[in-house]
Amino acid sequence: MKAMILKEFRELRRDKRTMAMLIALPILLLVIFGYAANFTVDEIPTAVVGDNAEQVEGQLPDLFAVEDDISSDEDAQDLLRDNVVDVAVDTSTQPATVYIDGSSLFAAQSAQAGLAQAPDDLVDVEVLYNPDLTTAWVMVPALIGLILTFIGTIITSIGLVKERQNGTIEQLAVMPLKASEVIMGKIVPYFILACFDMIIVTVLGVWLFDVPFVGSVWLLALGGAIFLFVVLGLGVLISTASQTQAQAIQMAMMMLLPQILLSGFIFPLEAMPAGISWIGYILPLTYWVEISQGIMLRGAGFDSLSWAFGVLVLMAVVIFTAAVVRFRRDLAPSAHGKKASK
Amino acid sequence: MSEPLLRASHVTRTFGHFTAVDDVSLTVEPGEIVGLLGANGAGKTTLIRMILGLLPASEGDLELFGAEPSIETRTRLGYVPQGLGLWDSLTSRENLDFVDDAYGVASTPMPDALADLADRPVGQIGLGYQRQLAFAAALGHEPELLVLDEPTSGVDPLSRARLWDAIHERADSGVGVLVTTHYMQEAQQCDRLVLMSQGKQVAAGQESDIIGDAAALEVETDDWRATFAALSDAGLLVSLAGTRVRVVDSDADAVSKALADAGIQGQPEHATATLEEAMVVRERA
Repeated sequence: MKAMILKEFRELRRDKRTMAMLIALPILLLVIFGYAANFTVDEIPTAVVGDNAEQVEGQLPDLFAVEDDISSDEDAQDLLRDNVVDVAVDTSTQPATVYIDGSSLFAAQSAQAGLAQAPDDLVDVEVLYNPDLTTAWVMVPALIGLILTFIGTIITSIGLVKERQNGTIEQLAVMPLKASEVIMGKIVPYFILACFDMIIVTVLGVWLFDVPFVGSVWLLALGGAIFLFVVLGLGVLISTASQTQAQAIQMAMMMLLPQILLSGFIFPLEAMPAGISWIGYILPLTYWVEISQGIMLRGAGFDSLSWAFGVLVLMAVVIFTAAVVRFRRDLAPSAHGKKASK
Repeated sequence: MSEPLLRASHVTRTFGHFTAVDDVSLTVEPGEIVGLLGANGAGKTTLIRMILGLLPASEGDLELFGAEPSIETRTRLGYVPQGLGLWDSLTSRENLDFVDDAYGVASTPMPDALADLADRPVGQIGLGYQRQLAFAAALGHEPELLVLDEPTSGVDPLSRARLWDAIHERADSGVGVLVTTHYMQEAQQCDRLVLMSQGKQVAAGQESDIIGDAAALEVETDDWRATFAALSDAGLLVSLAGTRVRVVDSDADAVSKALADAGIQGQPEHATATLEEAMVVRERA
């Protein structure tokens, strides 16, 4: 048995990926959960608009962090729809109306709790987009992205690594196929399957959980397509760095986990310290969550989501290009006619 | 003479400080079967990968059909890798259909032996059948040059003989064949041989050129077991041919002394080295 234990440790020592999972992952999870796993939002981005804005602003509890750069002429509901703030106070009504964005679930819950202490006749409170603060309404749009991420990274990378593991990638490289034909031939089926999945999950989500779909279907489809390019690109990238399917799954899991924890999908980004939340802002799922919740729940248009769309397009271009270049190099290393460096 | 289908001139491939292929040159003419011989790690597969364009050469030139390896030259080439390059979850028919589509040719006929297995996933059929299928797939587009990496590895003698019949048939019709093997009986079926050792080309030509002046000694005694053990214990390179013990890479005096030390009566006689023995001698050189 001693020999067996020794052999196992020797193998583990040389398997850097497993070692990373064994050592780095627990530390990472501890840090992320310790800092990010916080459902309580301590600071809610708030706008105060209307004639008595200045007067009301001073009476709000500290929980409501009033954004100073928002003009008091803005429309309160528009500010929520465009996800500029989570709470908008309209002081032009008597009493003032506090609009809460129900699609920002935890911020909304904190806002409700904060306002509960105020006297009844001081403000009217109205929760928009998710009046009952139903968790499923917020989760389902984000879940679509998670499912697409799963297909894009794990399923795609496994499919590609299988070719390498079976030695058939060499056969493809010898055939009179252009590298782009091979790459597209491998990716298009996953793209189509992921599109089907996206439709099924969206329809089921709306049907089973009564999730509203207020905005444009086409805009969501466009967002989905761009997001798919990002996650498929990640899948291809993973495949180029993996020799076996097990390695691909390992790496895909390491990419999936931070997306689940830090994209605002489960824990609100607003509740995380800046030292952790910045990671969320470099993850594609964060922008999908913003787009899908914006379109489905708030009916947000392209204008208010252009930033999220822009970031996803940038990610798609960078990641997909890098993936194709690396995959192409695997397929046809001498395609450029250059001699290998000595 | 027609232009060679394949010409490799002073090809070298290095990986960091390791030289996998070192200054190798070879040609394959139409209708010619060229055998690439060498022990594991001799550099055969690396050379094949360079020829196919899967790996760039560090130095030297490679030409397929008079041009640099490209997508056009690939259409004229058939390749059977050692791992066969078949898609396990697809059926035999689906494998052939995919390869036909990729080469843009009409449906390749299913080999007779596979007729009943055409609809079975390739992963569920025997290795011998898989090799036949891979061979059929490589021939479907009527290539002018066939590159076969250990084509009969793991195949029973009958299937091996059938595959070699098919290779000869193709060569007779003008197809050039480059085949790697470490089966000496198969090497003897080649028109020309290139022997590689530790990345270098150590010999080339007919079988007799490879054997060169390598000589063997043969000892016949009453007790071949004791003779074999005695010579082996003396550190000599020993093999068995029937009940005769053969020694290569040694002189008669050393053999006689080893026999005398063991109290065995017998005299070594000079014999022509086999191809395998010549390879061993060159490998040790």
